[in-house]
Amino acid sequence: MLEVKGLIAGYAGSEVLHGIDLTVKDGEGVIVLGPNGHGKSTLLRAITGLLPPRAGSVFMDGKEITRWRADVIAAAGVIHIPQGDLLFPEMTVLENLLMGAYNGPTWGERNERLGRVYELFPWLKDRARQLARTLSGGERRMLALGRGLMSKAKILLIDEPSLGLAPLATEQIYASIRRVKEAGLAILLADENANHVAGLADRVYLLETGMLVREGPAQKLLQDKALLESYLG
Amino acid sequence: MTQVVQAVWGGILFGSVYGLMALGLTLVWGAVRLLNLAHGAIFVVGAYVAYWVTSSLHLSILVALPIGVLAAAAFAYAMHVAFIRPVLGKPGFDNATLIATVGISISVSAAALLVFNPEYKVVPPVLSGYFILSGVQITNQGLLVIATSLALFALVYLYLTYTRHGMAIRAVSQQQEAASLMSIPVERTYGTVIAISGGLAGVAGVLLSPFFFLSPNSGFNPMIQALIVTIFGGLGSIRGALVAGFVLGIFESVVEVFYGVAWAQPGVFLLIILMLIVRPNGLFGIGEVRRL
Repeated sequence: MLEVKGLIAGYAGSEVLHGIDLTVKDGEGVIVLGPNGHGKSTLLRAITGLLPPRAGSVFMDGKEITRWRADVIAAAGVIHIPQGDLLFPEMTVLENLLMGAYNGPTWGERNERLGRVYELFPWLKDRARQLARTLSGGERRMLALGRGLMSKAKILLIDEPSLGLAPLATEQIYASIRRVKEAGLAILLADENANHVAGLADRVYLLETGMLVREGPAQKLLQDKALLESYLG
Repeated sequence: MTQVVQAVWGGILFGSVYGLMALGLTLVWGAVRLLNLAHGAIFVVGAYVAYWVTSSLHLSILVALPIGVLAAAAFAYAMHVAFIRPVLGKPGFDNATLIATVGISISVSAAALLVFNPEYKVVPPVLSGYFILSGVQITNQGLLVIATSLALFALVYLYLTYTRHGMAIRAVSQQQEAASLMSIPVERTYGTVIAISGGLAGVAGVLLSPFFFLSPNSGFNPMIQALIVTIFGGLGSIRGALVAGFVLGIFESVVEVFYGVAWAQPGVFLLIILMLIVRPNGLFGIGEVRRL
């Protein structure tokens, strides 16, 4: 469903990704593992149009979406849950969620979608009228995930869901992502450690200095502690 | 008694106009971070188009009003497409847009001078007639201006709070990158805000011109007043624009009636200086954090 070919991207003066080839199939859970600063966020940003790639191509369901505007890529169902959540701070929890359903055809179904997100994160309903900036770190992360799920996502790209969270909140957020995956949504998750991805990962890529150096089924790669240690430290 | 009524009436009337002009300025600042110094020019475009429709086409001001407002909105949108959109997100955005909007201002005055002539024009009021309250002449057009201004404030507030596109405007102003990840088209949203702001300036231009004569530079004073109101109320704050419009309007009017017209402007500036010492970000502004 999602296919990345020879993707090269970076910022002024420095190339971060040096040719990435990657695929995510329907309903598959794919993890990109790599240490901080090796290009995980850049990869997701290049796919979803926040950082237009310099070369290479991105296909979604066979259609090329390279260099489309970020809002058009999102409308095509490629949904990015960005690092740092990027909530709308002066809007309520409910308004944040509604913005997730902004896209024309989705807006008409916003109430059904809201019901489903509230089922996954019941406490969001209790806090519907609270401003997003008043939430705790774990709550913010769940709102960011819930907001992404308000859309008609075909695939979720999630950037380091455990970043800055306490262990309990981390467990909760991964449990939620597992449930989303079990419901059949494809997931591409960037992470810097392999501790939480069991049960979520079907396939794993290892990212090092802007290149994917290993690829394999999760069961095999995640068992190879020596390999993981040498890459992730 | 007559003096008090005179001061309050004048204050509310001009306060509502300042507020209306400031609403457009503050919307654009809040959403796009653009200080639109062409706001007065857009006011003039609306007023001249309405004048042209009434004087050359001999149509009623009731027809001219919506045409003038649409023309002002279209003009503002064209300005966005030609001068704002190309520099969005680029370094030097502030300087480039500042110079561009001042340039547009000057060009509009010059164009009005060429197309029409330097003579003062008369735009007919929507409502004629007046009544006397405690010896003060209350015009129906004045009441219409106040009611329109309040209604537009309410409308803009409801739009931003409850509608899909209104919420998207706030989303873009608070977290642009996330907004685009929600499939909100950022540049088009900016265009919408600028067009709405232009329409508001157009309403002010058409409804206010019957109180003065219309000339190529008629928009300058209302814009300066609106800038003052916007800064007083807090850049980007809608509530601030409303409250500050009336506070400054009534204050100016009271000073004028009781201390003479010479003290009106200095009095206003004194009040603003004092206020900015106490609250540097304005009445309702909380600095850079303030978003729609």
